[in-house]
Amino acid sequence: MIMSRFLLAVGLAILMVVTGVTSYFYLGSRQSKVVAPPQKPTAATPRAQAYSLPGTIYLEQSGALYRFSAGRFHQLTPEDGWTQPALYPDGSHLLAVKRSGFFSDVYVLTPYGNVTGQLTNNVAPPRSSWDTGANAWSFYPRLSPDQGTLWMSYDGPKAAGNGYFDVDFAVWAVPLGGSIRQGRAWTTANTYTGGDVQPVPVPGGIIYTKYTYDQAGNRVGQLWFTNRAGSPGKALTSTAAGCLQPSVSPDGGNIAMICTYQKQISYLTVATWNGSSLGALQTVISDQLVAEPIWAPDGSGIAYLAPGGPASPFQLWFLPKNAYHPPPPSPIPPPTPTPGGPHNGPLPTPTPLALPTAPPVRPIQVTTNLGFDGTSPLAWLG
Amino acid sequence: VPFGIKPGHRARASRRRLSPLRSLVLAALAIALSAVAGGFAYFLPAAATAIQETGQVVGVPSPSPTSLLFSPSPSPSPAEQGAFTVLLLGSDDDSKFSADQVLTQSMILVRVLPATKEVTMLSIPRDLYVHLSTGGYGKIDGAYSYGAAGAAIATVEQDFGVHVDDYIWVGLLGLIKVIDAIGGIDIVTSNPVMDDYYPADIYGGSPYGYQRVAVLAGPQHLDGIHAMQYVRSRHSDIQSDFGRSKRQQQVLQAIRAKAKQLAPSDIPALAAAIGGELKTSIGLDKVARLVPLAATFDNPDAIRQVLLLPPYTQGGGPDGSVTPNWGAILPLVHQYFA
Repeated sequence: MIMSRFLLAVGLAILMVVTGVTSYFYLGSRQSKVVAPPQKPTAATPRAQAYSLPGTIYLEQSGALYRFSAGRFHQLTPEDGWTQPALYPDGSHLLAVKRSGFFSDVYVLTPYGNVTGQLTNNVAPPRSSWDTGANAWSFYPRLSPDQGTLWMSYDGPKAAGNGYFDVDFAVWAVPLGGSIRQGRAWTTANTYTGGDVQPVPVPGGIIYTKYTYDQAGNRVGQLWFTNRAGSPGKALTSTAAGCLQPSVSPDGGNIAMICTYQKQISYLTVATWNGSSLGALQTVISDQLVAEPIWAPDGSGIAYLAPGGPASPFQLWFLPKNAYHPPPPSPIPPPTPTPGGPHNGPLPTPTPLALPTAPPVRPIQVTTNLGFDGTSPLAWLG
Repeated sequence: VPFGIKPGHRARASRRRLSPLRSLVLAALAIALSAVAGGFAYFLPAAATAIQETGQVVGVPSPSPTSLLFSPSPSPSPAEQGAFTVLLLGSDDDSKFSADQVLTQSMILVRVLPATKEVTMLSIPRDLYVHLSTGGYGKIDGAYSYGAAGAAIATVEQDFGVHVDDYIWVGLLGLIKVIDAIGGIDIVTSNPVMDDYYPADIYGGSPYGYQRVAVLAGPQHLDGIHAMQYVRSRHSDIQSDFGRSKRQQQVLQAIRAKAKQLAPSDIPALAAAIGGELKTSIGLDKVARLVPLAATFDNPDAIRQVLLLPPYTQGGGPDGSVTPNWGAILPLVHQYFA
């Protein structure tokens, strides 16, 4: 009897320890997924029904470049400040930015991530014991269609002397392989705005995002087009629309962008482009925080980055073309004549045919649990 | 023989067989108790932090005649039922300063109207030249350094003519840790925020040194350190502290949006992150009432943001301060905070 009571006590003690520990760890496991750090793209697979995107997409997470092809990610660089990949027009190489604490530089990489050259040299020694020096940032690199000119946003050269607080980007054009001294600033930034960024070479000039002040004194992004160095060019969008991150369609006839309307929102917007001006802005997605849209090389849709859920890290999404260019409705067939010979009496009223309505095309979430950089443009090789 | 026990009773009881039912009841009781104990152990650190950092008692001097002008009405309108005002204080609390003698880089007066689910956020410029509750005149960011939260509250109450119900103070490192603990925030940064003279006092290893920062523009997911750079940088902002205040309000709203996604199980990690970097006069009981209330505020358009830009203020005051135009400020404050 005593033995059985002893065994019961031991059993209960073990049960209590196990239950208590289990309860503790169960609660720990119930932490919401929104606080979990993103997985590495190479560790996580796209969800089971992942959409297969054509070609190869280059994108960045946590300072490393990745290529996404046939539903799989391959890491191209270590997590070491790499960002903003851009393709050579012939697809043979990549441009990318490597960012350090005080400066960033543009490099040339093979499509598999091997560095083959450095195009800028923005590091500079401090000018005094406490000064941050004449270091400079280079971001948003692009190559001209002839692959002879590097376009980028650059905040140098630094003004002489300490205490100069205004730091703005201007769009620069530098001969590929040349030094910054051979380059030329194409735009003049509005002071204390952050300046001009995201140049996109187009026939006859560049489209870029210029930050400016609106009438109420708010700083806002605006798409501009300029066709010669030093010319202010012309605004393509209003300050009220707050548009940025332009991307030109493969046929050159459309621009995708995001528009924030000076709020904490970001709509995917498309407009026609005739070489000098934009058509009406068409909002395509208004319920996501869209970033860095890019057209599919085959014209099948637009890929972009957006949170995978409320207030969560950015995932890769794809919007099929039908969402913004719905196919024309099928022609309505004429009423079929009533068979059976001549008709006596009044003709029956033909039943009106309902127009076929296509189901709304929704964006497709390509990845989950990752965390791409919303400020790093995507590059898409067809 | 002990009182109440018959002779031979204990001996018989000890020999009684353990029925399966009794064993099952005992086991169920053990499971329930140990499950509760496990939960208690899980939430114990959070409870300790909460008890330690909430319900801070502050001594606020008697209201000045100015504040009496706008003292809460004894019979509030239906919209004002349950309304309360909180003073948010954010401080540099690196090694340049000793505890409780820090400047408040950020002061935001928040008025919450639960009945109408409206929130008004008034950013007070840190360089505003005011009459300090501790005596004399100076920049309002110094009030906290002269007399901790009580002095900051009293200064705001006497100068702005409002009644502050509670305060929340957060250190710089605390904000970084909180944002990291909630898994970062989503935000649309309004423009590239560039600063060649950003303080290197948090992770730069030099309390008086500088570093370069470039927070690029557009929608993005920010971790704590980059969110801090976004809200703290002011050198490249022509609106200086006003522009920074606007960004601070954006980040506060983003934190609120993210907090709505959290589960109770996230509380211990959050409390561990906050530890020592947050103080508030709001008691635990009030926190328990406010959490469900906050979840019902889901209309971003019902959050009013107020900045004291010119003509409410003008630069050129003593020691680089900003001079208040009380004739314009007080009616504005009265409109939203009375």
